[in-house]
Amino acid sequence: MIKLPTIHIGRLSLLLSILVWLALLFVDLVRLFGVINNLNSGIAAEFTWVLEILFFLTVYFFYNYNLQKNAQNEFLNLLWRAASTGIFASAAFLVIQVFYQFLGDSKLGQEPFLRNFFYHVHFALISIFLISTTLLWKKLILYQKTKQVVQQWQTYEIGLLIAMFFVFFSQNTFGYSFIFGFVILTVLGGFLSVNLKWIPYLTFKEKWKSLLFLAIIIICSVYLFLQTNAYSSAQQTYPINLLDNLFLISLYIFILIYALFSFLVTLFNLPTSSVFEQKLTEAINFQRLSQSIQPDEDEEKVLDILMDSSMSASFADGAWLEMYQTDRDQAILQTRWIEEKEREELSKLIESNSAAQNWAKESKADLLNPLPLKISHPKFGSLLLVPLVINKSVIGRMVLCKELKDGFNKEMVSIIETFARQASISVENHRLLNQAIQNERYQEELKIAQRVQKALLPNNLDHNKDFEICAYSNAADEVGGDYYDTFQLDQHRYAIIIGDVSGKGTSAAFHMAQMKGVFQSLIQLNLSPKEFMIRSNAALSRCLERNHFITASIFIIDTLHHQVCHARAGHVPTLFYRSGNQKAEYLGIGGLGLGILRNMQYEKHVEEKEFTYHSGDILVLFTDGIVEAKNQKSQQFGFERIRALVEINYHLSPKEIQAKLIDTLHDFVGGDGLIDDDYSLLVVKFN
Amino acid sequence: MLSIETLQEHPHFILLPKGEIDASNSVQLDESIRKLAENGAKSILVDGSAIEYISSAGLGVFMSYLEDFQEQGISLKIFSLSPRVLEVFQILGLDQLIPIFPEKEAALNAN
Repeated sequence: MIKLPTIHIGRLSLLLSILVWLALLFVDLVRLFGVINNLNSGIAAEFTWVLEILFFLTVYFFYNYNLQKNAQNEFLNLLWRAASTGIFASAAFLVIQVFYQFLGDSKLGQEPFLRNFFYHVHFALISIFLISTTLLWKKLILYQKTKQVVQQWQTYEIGLLIAMFFVFFSQNTFGYSFIFGFVILTVLGGFLSVNLKWIPYLTFKEKWKSLLFLAIIIICSVYLFLQTNAYSSAQQTYPINLLDNLFLISLYIFILIYALFSFLVTLFNLPTSSVFEQKLTEAINFQRLSQSIQPDEDEEKVLDILMDSSMSASFADGAWLEMYQTDRDQAILQTRWIEEKEREELSKLIESNSAAQNWAKESKADLLNPLPLKISHPKFGSLLLVPLVINKSVIGRMVLCKELKDGFNKEMVSIIETFARQASISVENHRLLNQAIQNERYQEELKIAQRVQKALLPNNLDHNKDFEICAYSNAADEVGGDYYDTFQLDQHRYAIIIGDVSGKGTSAAFHMAQMKGVFQSLIQLNLSPKEFMIRSNAALSRCLERNHFITASIFIIDTLHHQVCHARAGHVPTLFYRSGNQKAEYLGIGGLGLGILRNMQYEKHVEEKEFTYHSGDILVLFTDGIVEAKNQKSQQFGFERIRALVEINYHLSPKEIQAKLIDTLHDFVGGDGLIDDDYSLLVVKFN
Repeated sequence: MLSIETLQEHPHFILLPKGEIDASNSVQLDESIRKLAENGAKSILVDGSAIEYISSAGLGVFMSYLEDFQEQGISLKIFSLSPRVLEVFQILGLDQLIPIFPEKEAALNAN
C-alpha cells in the first residue's frame, strides 16, 4: 500500500494562494509588456479572471481552516483579528503611497511595471482583509445560531460565489445587472447583520474594547474603499481591472454594515450591560450552589456561596447567618459587613416584631417564605429574613440588611428564595451523603466483627483416633451468640463445650467472646465439669448484663477409660445414641443457666454425671436455634425430629449425620424461610 | 406480636402477655413488670396461657427481677404455661427459681 502523505489544508491553501497570486502578477505583467510594446500578448482577459477567482477561493479556504483550528474564539479576539488585518492592510497602503510621494516625478515613479506590482499587492491585501473579516463576521452572526440564520448565511455565500463569476458576464462594466446583483447582496448582508447575539455577553469593559476595535475596522474599510476608488479612476497604466469586482464591493458593504450595526448596538447596550451581568452572575451563583458538596468538604462552603450570592443579588449592606443547633441555641456562623453590636440590636428588633414572631412560629416549614421587614434602626432601614429548610424543618436563617427603606423588591426576594432552597438542598444532600458513608463504615465494621467472631470458633477440633468430631455454626445476623470449643486436657482426655448466649446480634457476640475467654482460662485448671460451671457462673456473673445469661454443656471425654463426664447449665439437652440398643435419648441432667443466679446459691443448681461409651455411640450437641426453628405452619423442628434422624442415620460418619440434620432442617423450614436465630451443631462419634 | 394486659385482683396483679416474646418485644414485658413493681405491687402473677413462644431474651426479663424482687419482698409467679413454653423454662432451670403453677388457683393459694 502506498501511504499518502497527510494533506495539510492550511499550508496547502496558503501555498496555492501565493502561487496563484504570483501567476496572476506574471500574466498581467506580460500583458502590460504587450500593451506598452504594441504587441498582442494573446492572453485573454478571462484567464486573469479565472486566476482571480482561484485566488479568492484559496484565501477563503485558508482563513476558513485557520479559524476552525483556532478554537479560542472569544468575541474580542475575533474583533481584534479583523481590526489588526485592517490596520496591516491600511499601513501597507500608506507606506506605498509615501513611497510614491517620495519618488515624485522621477522615472521610477512613472515605471508602469512597478506600479502594476503594487496594484497587485493592493489587490491581495484588500482581498485578504475582506475575506478574513467576512469569515469572522460569519462566526459572530452564527453565534447561538438557528436553522433559519444558517440558511440565510448559506444563501448569502452562494450569492457571493455567483458574484465572483459575475465578471465573465459583465466584462467589467457597470450596468444595470451589476447594480441588480449589488443590491441583492447588500439586502442579504443587511438581513444577516441583525444577528448580534454575542454583544450582550460582553462585560462592560469588553464592550468598550469592542467599540474601539469596531471603530478601527470601520475606518480601515472606509479608507481602503476610497483607495480602491482612487485606483479605479486613475486607470491609465493598468491593463486589467481587478478591483471593480462585484464580489469585493459586496464584501466591502457587508463588512461595513455589520461593523456599523455592531458598533451602534454595543454602544446602546452599554447602559444596560450591568443588569445583564447581574443576571449572569446570579445564574452562575445558582450553578455553584447546586453543585453538590464533596463529602470531605464542609457545608459552610455552600453557606458561604449562599451569603455572597444573596448579598450581591439584593445589594445588601450587611448580613448574617445563624443555624439552630438545638432548641433556642443559635450559632452565628457567618457575618458580613456588620458589627456584633449592630447584629444584637437588630436581633432584638426582629424578636420584638410581631410579623417576625408569627413567621418564626410557622409550623409548616415548607410554606415558609423570605420575610421582608421594615425596622427603625439608626443605620439599617429594612431586613429580609430567609429561612433555611431541610427535611421539612427549619435549620437556620439568613438575615440580609439594607440601609434603604423597602430595599427588597419582589424579584430580589424570589431569587434569594431560590438561592436559599438550592443551598438547603445541597446541605441536605451533603448530610445524607455523609450518613450513607457512615452507614457503609458501620457495615464494614460489622464485617470485621464477623471475621473476628468466626476466628473465635475453632478451625481444628481436638480429638484422637478414638472419636471423630465435626461442627457447624450459623448466625442469624452478621454476628451471633453461639459458641463451641474443644481442649485437649492430656493424652487421653478432651473437653468439648457448646454454649448459647441469650439474645442475638452484637451484644450476644460480645458475651460469646467472654465465654470463650472464660472457657479457655478455666479449662486449663483441670476442673471437673460441675466445678467448671460453678466457676464460670461466678466469672460471668461479674461481666454479663443484668438480663443476659449463657447456657452451656460441657463434656470431658476420657478415651482411655471410655468415660464421659458432663454437666449442663441451662443448655438444651444433648442427644446420646447408644449403639448397644440402637436407641437415642436426651441426657437428663439438671442445671441452671450461667449468670442467672449471681451468688453462691448457684452450686445447688448444677449437677454432674458420668457414663461409659462404646464403639459406635454418638453424641449430638446443638443449640436451641435448631429446636425452635419453625416452618410455615409455625411448628417447631423440636427434639423428636433430631432424635429420629440420628436413629436412622447412626451408621453414617459425623460429617454425614451433620449434613443430614442441616438439610432436613432447611427442608423443614421451607425454601426461602429463614431461621431467625443462631444455630450450631456438634456431632461426636466414638470409634 | 405481643400484647400485654394487666389485671388487678386485690392484692394480686395479673399480667396477661399474648403472643410471642422475643428479643424485639421483650422490652414491653420488662416495662410492664417494672411499672407494677414501682407502683407498689407485692404479688405479681403472670398468666402464661397465651404465651405462644418465649425466646432467651424473654426469659432474661424474668431472670433480671429475681434478685430485686427477693430483696423487696415481691413475689413473682407464673401459671398456665403451655407445655412447650414450660419446657423452655425447665431446660434453663428457671422453674427452680420462679414458682410455676399449672393453673391460676394453685398460684393464688400458694405462698
